[in-house]
Amino acid sequence: MSNERKKMLLVGDNPFHGISHLSQERARVRGDAMVYPEYAANLVMTSLENGADGFMFSVSEMTLSILRIICEMGGGRRLRLYAIVPYAFEYVRLATQIGTPGLIKKFAKQITVSRNVRAIAMGLKGVVRTDPVALLKTYLIYEISRIKSSAGKQANLDSVLLHEIITDMALALNLDWLFKSYMDFMLELQMKPGFNTRNFAYLVKKFGDWNLDLRETIIVTPFNKVGFQMNPSQIECEKALANLPEPNTIAISILAAGYLKPPEAINYIRTLTDLKGVAVGVSKEHHARETFKLLKENLV
Amino acid sequence: MSREKLRVAVVGLGKMGVLHASILNILPNVQLTALCDKSTVILKFSKRIFNRVHVVDDVEKLSALDIDVIYVTTPIFSHSLVAKNVYSREIARNLFIEKTLASSYDEAKEVCELAQAFGGVNMVGYMKRFAVTFRKAKNLLTQETLGEVSSFDAYAYSSDFLGSKKNSKTSASRGGALRDSGCHVVDLALWFFGDLQVDSAKLQSPTEKDSENSVYFRVKKPSGLEGKFSVSRCMENYRLPEMGLLVRGSKGIMRVNDDKVSLKLKGGKSSTWYRHDLNDNVFFWLGAPEYVREDEYFVKSVLENRSAEPSFYAASKVDYIIDQVRYRAGRNE
Repeated sequence: MSNERKKMLLVGDNPFHGISHLSQERARVRGDAMVYPEYAANLVMTSLENGADGFMFSVSEMTLSILRIICEMGGGRRLRLYAIVPYAFEYVRLATQIGTPGLIKKFAKQITVSRNVRAIAMGLKGVVRTDPVALLKTYLIYEISRIKSSAGKQANLDSVLLHEIITDMALALNLDWLFKSYMDFMLELQMKPGFNTRNFAYLVKKFGDWNLDLRETIIVTPFNKVGFQMNPSQIECEKALANLPEPNTIAISILAAGYLKPPEAINYIRTLTDLKGVAVGVSKEHHARETFKLLKENLV
Repeated sequence: MSREKLRVAVVGLGKMGVLHASILNILPNVQLTALCDKSTVILKFSKRIFNRVHVVDDVEKLSALDIDVIYVTTPIFSHSLVAKNVYSREIARNLFIEKTLASSYDEAKEVCELAQAFGGVNMVGYMKRFAVTFRKAKNLLTQETLGEVSSFDAYAYSSDFLGSKKNSKTSASRGGALRDSGCHVVDLALWFFGDLQVDSAKLQSPTEKDSENSVYFRVKKPSGLEGKFSVSRCMENYRLPEMGLLVRGSKGIMRVNDDKVSLKLKGGKSSTWYRHDLNDNVFFWLGAPEYVREDEYFVKSVLENRSAEPSFYAASKVDYIIDQVRYRAGRNE
């Protein structure tokens, strides 16, 4: 593999949801500005002007608002979108408040209110036949339609990725049929199926065992100098990356959630020639300018 | 245990049940054998999804399946009932129960007595003990790095019920802020400092029985150690539940939460350890590393037939503290 390959640079949305994996205290201190979609949309646009190619986000009311504003600002056409579903935090919070059955009822109501005929029909089929694949498809149709209606027709939705809690639970439960059904459905929609995971080495191994073609997918997973959230170990993840048939992996947590300074983080990422790209969250305009300028100078 | 693989059943398929079932399924020395839930919808889908696992609607139906270990992940109010059923019908001798052990100290005592009578290994899911930061803090206390501990402040905050209009049935079934997240920090304090007595307590917004949203209480030990607890599930800006302690000792102070441990000694020396510095990786990550460590540890304890901590007995002390808090608060003490 060549060091010269252009790496895709994406803006991550963690700071827009008040997430800091280094410290929740730090996320709180960052202040209220981050909760304004206008502020976040400006950060995405600044990142684009300084070298970013796209936006990786969990599908929530917040990020959909950001997409709508970017679209109004005329940034939609330039933006490549990588959407992570479901926004697990919100669903877990709802399950805590109203219980799992309450969550299912609320979600069914949302789909009905959306008047998305295809989603409603698929959902009915799923319920009547107790068909989990039909329910998965219902959910995907619903989320994709929400993204497209917010981002505009010109948006480039490159991939819809399953959130790590779904990917990793399905891996643990050996649900090869779920991965296969998901991949087939996404390819049918002419989108790359994607998987967000914190068990990268294990996922690569299982896909090999199940004869699932990794070249057809996008994988999003942590890679950083200190091995933070790289399971079972940094070495195993690096080995798995080197053995991939072609670069399909986007690194997240490259700053190890703020533990590393961008220059030292980038020096490590430069050594991983088999990465397809990186996603980095930014919380201030000067961060957006400096970080993406630095990434562009060093990785592109 | 002479078996190579433990046959494990999970009772209760809410989010904690599915999480434990997933982790157990990937442990090399476990065979996820059965799942049990009352909900018809969950049963139907479970049968479609888990085709190599028995799916049943009643705990009693597990008795025919030669089960070694049962995980109880039902709502708190039913923990003791399920445990009694499992023991009395001799379905399994080894039990893991999600926190809290029971919905009162009296129920917890009954479960402890049954566990004592039937033997086997038992444990309660206070997974914070398996977080690298709290483990580091425990080590620092054991090594007496802080000298003699005089006081501590503990908190458990979340925004889970912030803006929640009413106390739903689910909210009540979670047992209020104390049983929801406060119990974790109570368990940590018991683990760090030993037995504690409640001195005074105040509940806020107790709109339904045992379903308070915020609690403040003080504890003490005969040795003179004093502690304060602040627990709320309606705090602003706590996107994820967070808990932590500030511990004061004769040689300095220590702050610990889910993210880091900071030590400030009187000589001027200070240190901070983040999760990154404390080897937080696991062989498989699901939910959080502490869940995986917790299940690995419990399974290993069963296989080696040695006691696991926090045992039912240790965990019953949390139920005791919670009952004491409610009693004191009821008397405005």
